[in-house]
Amino acid sequence: MLPSVSRRTLLGTAAALLASTALPRLARAAEGGRLVVAADSEPRQLNPAIVASNGVFFIASKVVEPLAEASYEGDGLRPLLATAWEGSDDGRTITFTLREGVTWHDGTPFTSADVAFSAMEVWKPLQNIGRSLFADLEAVDTPDDHTAVFRFSKPTPLQLIANALPVVSSVLPKHLYEGTDIAANPANGALVGTGPFTWGEYRPGEYYLLKRNPAYWNAGEPHLEEIVFRVLPDRAAAASSLEAGEIQLAAFSAVPLADLARIAGVPGLEVVTKGYEALTYQLVVEINHRNEYLRNLKVRQAIAHAIDKRYVLDAIFLGYAEEATGPVPKNAPAFYTGDVTTYGFDVEKAKALLDEAGFPAGPDGVRFRLNLLPAPYFNETRQFGDYLRQALAAIGIDATIVANDSAGHQKAVYTDHAFDLAIAPTVFRGDPAISTTILVRSGIPAGVPFSNQGGYVSPALDALVDEALVTLDPAKRVELYDEFQRLVTADLPLINVADWSFTSVASDKVENIATNPRWAVSNWADVGLEE
Amino acid sequence: MIRELLRRPEALLGGLLLLLIAGAALLAPVLSPGDPLAIAGRPLVRPFTDPAFPLGTDGLGRDLLAGVIHGVRTSAAIGLAAALVAVLAGMLVGTAAGFAGGLVDEALMRVVDAFQIVPGFLLALAFVSVTGPSLAVVAIAIALGAWTGPARLSRSRVLALREADFVAAARVMGMHPAEIALRQVMPLALPPVLAVTAVIVAGAILTESALSFLGLGDPNAVTWGGMIAEGRNQLRSAAYLSIIPGIALVLTVISIYLVGEALTDVLAGKRQS
Repeated sequence: MLPSVSRRTLLGTAAALLASTALPRLARAAEGGRLVVAADSEPRQLNPAIVASNGVFFIASKVVEPLAEASYEGDGLRPLLATAWEGSDDGRTITFTLREGVTWHDGTPFTSADVAFSAMEVWKPLQNIGRSLFADLEAVDTPDDHTAVFRFSKPTPLQLIANALPVVSSVLPKHLYEGTDIAANPANGALVGTGPFTWGEYRPGEYYLLKRNPAYWNAGEPHLEEIVFRVLPDRAAAASSLEAGEIQLAAFSAVPLADLARIAGVPGLEVVTKGYEALTYQLVVEINHRNEYLRNLKVRQAIAHAIDKRYVLDAIFLGYAEEATGPVPKNAPAFYTGDVTTYGFDVEKAKALLDEAGFPAGPDGVRFRLNLLPAPYFNETRQFGDYLRQALAAIGIDATIVANDSAGHQKAVYTDHAFDLAIAPTVFRGDPAISTTILVRSGIPAGVPFSNQGGYVSPALDALVDEALVTLDPAKRVELYDEFQRLVTADLPLINVADWSFTSVASDKVENIATNPRWAVSNWADVGLEE
Repeated sequence: MIRELLRRPEALLGGLLLLLIAGAALLAPVLSPGDPLAIAGRPLVRPFTDPAFPLGTDGLGRDLLAGVIHGVRTSAAIGLAAALVAVLAGMLVGTAAGFAGGLVDEALMRVVDAFQIVPGFLLALAFVSVTGPSLAVVAIAIALGAWTGPARLSRSRVLALREADFVAAARVMGMHPAEIALRQVMPLALPPVLAVTAVIVAGAILTESALSFLGLGDPNAVTWGGMIAEGRNQLRSAAYLSIIPGIALVLTVISIYLVGEALTDVLAGKRQS
């Protein structure tokens, strides 16, 4: 006779079996020192020196370190692989003093040759941001093993390079990459760096495993034994996994905003809104200035007046965002100015502007028709698309939403220019020259994502952007960028609606959360788990 | 036939529901005038708490009742259009294959096989992702996976009919083969195909909802699948956002299915004991 097996025990056993084969390593990892984190995407290229984006940094920054990390203290930077940096008076050289006694995870010592190699062979030719930021970088001299001298062909502000360091300066080991196809190097899949954690293993669709680096240069760190990034693409799953105690941390708003109020009440979990100050996303309406209506400033002003920013913050961002006044967000106090043209919510004024522009409402109440392409990357950008369509309908503009997947959207907007209005989540990266001025500067070739592909040309604005790029005096730079914000808000090459950042939900056992303004994408050397 | 149908309780129930749904679709502009996607009130009003919004509002303050009522139109339009295209295409191919026979039959039926092995939903997914979502494209995409059934049914019926005496008579009268196929044979092959049409309509409505759920529906029209998808993020805190359109979807598909089943039985001449 067979023993009777109920369906429930059978299912339970099957699930346990499945789990034990899927996660063999996790089952016998050291207790107490393992932090399990929700990861919502699996980047195709995991090398942070090539793809400087938050999705990559989230995992890779624990293994591969930059020269410096953002900090709440002092001048906003904490030295990592570089201990000091100094610019020359003519702005053509920047000298980095590098940390001594650092070794790569394979035991080879870290030297200035690695920095020179990364800068000249990776950041400048291959990296999405470095390609423009280091365009004027001529050479990197290495007078000794712990000094790297960057030589630029044009004056380059130290302030700009320093602000960009946390994002652009992930250093790769020269001895593993030299002479190979860097973008296809096997070390891109199993990263080798100098960071507090070494590469463990990656199972597509399941998890990434990182292990403690016992030889980390900062003795006493890291505190964690292991970090596991569990792949949980479904946002509802992150919340329930947190509640079930299967994961201890969900960053980058993996828990939907609508669920936060409920999650905040769950004992043992806390909602953290700090730690993203240097990762501000901007909700931007991109405008195609080739369009006969949108070319008219009055029409752009009318659209700006038609958007009820308060409503957008309350209904779409549920309060977890700030009203934007211009292209620089408020939480970049070094550059932000509130002294700009602002556009209050005023439907009547918007209609009057459209009448003045010579576009009266037809018999059906419609003045003209446009298409609208909301970026599909975030729920919030899609929802804002639905909102904007209604806001435009209220002033007599009939907008048709065109939905694309990510690749289709990028091609339509940034290569084919097949849009009238688009909604983009652009990123402010600590300095307007890194990824903000490119949104309005003319002369950017087609195909560059998150750049001015709307055909907007303003010689005055272009001259200002170019002047600021070679202005060395920090105070003068700030003045120029204040003027930049005034010009952009007055002429509206694009409309900034809201600035938002992210939230983390964590078990209250996780220590040292949000210790710097790029916390989720920093190296987590000081993160610990309470027993 | 109608009387026969009315004698079946499940057909009666399905028919009543279907009438109600069809009424809602036809009277949508009267029942809830204006754009159903318009922002009408405060976001997230719970159902049955505000007489202005009997079913509540969604995260952007859009009236859920208006969404459900106008959603019928989208679902019905897509369901009927997809079924019409599928039946027409299927009948034409099936009749041609059955009537011509030989190589033509072989070739056409292999094409049918080719379409039949690919799951209909995958076919629709691929088609919509390539061409971009709009109501017409979605209808064609669904029909792509649904026309093979009618094609096979009509072919088998035509195979039986083509040797019939009246076909031979028409030939003798000198009628063109195409005329015989389309005017004499195809109408007689219609009843069995009509019987499966209801199932095709119900399937099309479900497929459309699934496409919208995955974000591949027309973003400018209200669809139940789209409403369910939007509510999914708030499933734990505002489950009614997904449940209400879900119930509408279930009722519609069940009513069509009940009527369709009864119709099939009646057409097949079966009697309930």
